[in-house]
Amino acid sequence: MSDTVVETKNLTKTYGAFTALNDLSIHVNRGQILGFIGPNGAGKTTTIKILVGLSKPTSGSATIAGVDCSQNASKIKQLVGYMPDKFGSYDNMRVHEYLDFFGAIFGIPGKARKARIQEVMETTNTTYMQDRYVESLSHGMQQRVGIARTLLHNPEVLILDEPANGLDPKARIEMRQLLLQLAAQGKTLIVTSHILPELSRICNVVAIVTAGKLRAFGSVDEVMSSLCPQRSYEVQVANAEHVGSAERVLREVLSETEPLTSSPAELTLRFPTVRTEAELADLLHKLVAAKIPVTQFRELTSDLEDAFLSVAGKD
Amino acid sequence: MNPQPLLNNPILQRELTSRLRSPNALIALAIVALVSCGLVLMRWPAEASIDLVSQGSIQVFRPVTYAIAIAIMMLSPAFPATAIVSERKKGTLVLMLNSPTPPWMVYVGKLLANVLLGVLLFSVSLPAIFACYAMGGISITGHILPLLMVFLGMAFQYSALGLWVSSRSQSIDASLRWTYSILLFLVVLSIGPSVLVGKLSGIYAWIAQALTTLSPIPALQQITGALGQSKSIGISTGWVEYLIMCAVSTIGLAIATLYKLHPNMMDRARDAGKVIEAKESSWFRRISYLVDPNRRKSGIPFWLNPVMVKEFRTRKFGRLHWLLRLIAVGAVVSILLTVVAATGTVNWGVDRIASSMVLMQIGFLLLLGPSLGANLIASEVESGGWQLMRASPISPWRILTGKLMSTFLTLLLLLFATLPGYVMMSYIQPAIGGQVSNVIISLLIATAMVTILSACVSAYSKTSAAATAGSYAVLLLLFAGTLLIWLGRGNPFGPVFVERALLINPAATALAEMKAPGFETFQLIPKGWYVGLAICAAGLIVLILRIARLTRPE
Repeated sequence: MSDTVVETKNLTKTYGAFTALNDLSIHVNRGQILGFIGPNGAGKTTTIKILVGLSKPTSGSATIAGVDCSQNASKIKQLVGYMPDKFGSYDNMRVHEYLDFFGAIFGIPGKARKARIQEVMETTNTTYMQDRYVESLSHGMQQRVGIARTLLHNPEVLILDEPANGLDPKARIEMRQLLLQLAAQGKTLIVTSHILPELSRICNVVAIVTAGKLRAFGSVDEVMSSLCPQRSYEVQVANAEHVGSAERVLREVLSETEPLTSSPAELTLRFPTVRTEAELADLLHKLVAAKIPVTQFRELTSDLEDAFLSVAGKD
Repeated sequence: MNPQPLLNNPILQRELTSRLRSPNALIALAIVALVSCGLVLMRWPAEASIDLVSQGSIQVFRPVTYAIAIAIMMLSPAFPATAIVSERKKGTLVLMLNSPTPPWMVYVGKLLANVLLGVLLFSVSLPAIFACYAMGGISITGHILPLLMVFLGMAFQYSALGLWVSSRSQSIDASLRWTYSILLFLVVLSIGPSVLVGKLSGIYAWIAQALTTLSPIPALQQITGALGQSKSIGISTGWVEYLIMCAVSTIGLAIATLYKLHPNMMDRARDAGKVIEAKESSWFRRISYLVDPNRRKSGIPFWLNPVMVKEFRTRKFGRLHWLLRLIAVGAVVSILLTVVAATGTVNWGVDRIASSMVLMQIGFLLLLGPSLGANLIASEVESGGWQLMRASPISPWRILTGKLMSTFLTLLLLLFATLPGYVMMSYIQPAIGGQVSNVIISLLIATAMVTILSACVSAYSKTSAAATAGSYAVLLLLFAGTLLIWLGRGNPFGPVFVERALLINPAATALAEMKAPGFETFQLIPKGWYVGLAICAAGLIVLILRIARLTRPE
């Protein structure tokens, strides 16, 4: 039996002449966290709405645990816990009453609901705020309550739209730990975020969409190697007068596909390359042989942000 | 005083242009112009002669005057009532208060923008007013100028009232409700002591008369030549007194609002959410525990619609302690009215007392119904809660019934609060038992109508503020608009037209059943019930279709 829980095949959604989503095919396995990345208007929310059963695709299909999202929306609602980017608070309602209401509309019977509310409050560390009015909570607290709400009916899949948005660093770390904890419990998570370093720390799989099209999909390493095949190197010299001579040596070796930039103020030179380790060692040797006082020769690490920018910049 | 700084006020410019760009403002202006001109056209004399003491022009002038007055009463406070509280919620108020613009400029900008809109509102009816003047019997100094000054006074007073309430409210919904409640007091209830307790003397009589200056009704009656009617019910104030009171109250409200309009108003501690446990309470707490808003709520039982329970719990006003207070007020007033009649304090018959009770109940319905109903769907969509409900397995039908029942039951409780008055009335005059039953049926239909129509408006509105204002407008058009036609009975409207118009107003059906003064000749039951039920059914169908559309996948 396949372990794929969430799957979209050639998913397309058009609004009149505008194509919001174009032929999107992704799959997420049980216990994985998918980081869904894209600029505003890329089609992330459209995809999420289709997965949650709030929107119907123009063509293609989306399934969760084998259930078609557009054909069997009522079953999908039991399988998915959805946290939109807008919290959805009510005036004069305490956290406990709020969770009780959502438990009731998900059809959880009285006693089981009471126990379940305690359980999700403990999981999300919200027990201490159960008597607080929902609208009086800080943004970070509301996000925790939002996750507690999505967990109430014990769904297999959690879809969280911008859960780390507007959180302070401490709340962001707590949120990251909570999401990892949920994945460890076997939940499958789809998380959208604009804070990409945040996503790269927790996601097993990443999907990058721009203008409705899937640009990259796979594990973080796979996406990085497919989108950022070149590595960037930085050479630092001891003083400013050696920047020019270092540049001359490097230009003799580097090709046109390896554009060199220098910064005398920072005493550095940078270039992207696909050279092997041996070739790079030879390059360093030439610099040393030219009596250039090299203080650092190091690889600049690329991250998800670079990968995203390499795709987003093309649109 | 140089008016240039006032006209350059950025708040005034922004508020005025944004309001004037709104299609709703244009619709309101068009309706006022059409209604006022339509009334005059119907009465325009066929022969080419002018009657210097024309009673005909007064008969047209009067309904036109009341129509414009109702429009000002309903529309003037709507925007100021949301102006400050909505800006505070959006976070733009703090930006304004932290800018070099002083708070008084912010206040003046908001006040003047609204007053200018009010001026525009009654300006569009000037052709109708001057047409009455052309018909004869109306003078500029005796009628038109005082009338325009009263309208201006109303626009100032109600705008200042709306802004004051808005500066003190925590939510848009509460602000609108309180503004209209105070407006009801200013317009109608303020003349109550003089009308009901005519035998007072000394300081009490003076206070009762002073209270009447808060209401524009005596002023309008004086201007429209109905001073005799005012005097017959114990009111001796006129438009000059009203204008003085307008100026005093507007200044008072402006000072009170400016006192609140300070960056500190945003500096409020978050509610810690104090909860009272039944076991740890004192004996008094235990007695009042049932209605204690801070008591710990139990889970929603399986046999109750969770959406209905949520609606009750999320509105401060809908919570049990508030409802009980209102029911108590309703019961006490209804019994008082009956006792006053029975002890002969005023020489009103049972029919007149019953009419007062019907009007009080309709007043309650119109005061609370639109704001409760209008928030059912619009505020849910606005807060993002609708999206969450759509993502849950609850059916659209359960959402709809839960929401409608939460409003219907609240209004029903209020309606039943006045039953003790009817019981006493039946005791005084046992023969009216049948009539009382018919009145109660009419009021039940009115309750359903208020609930369904305001929910319909809510379902088609983008914001709760627009929904509330829209609901008040629709329901007042239905209830007060038909009574305006009734005011013009005989001239310009014929009895058949008036009766047909009254059929869509369940309050008129109830008043006609109790043979209220002016309604004796109308036989509206059962036709009025059928029309009322048909309106409810049509509204319900529209609502079901709308909810189905709002809940289905895009």
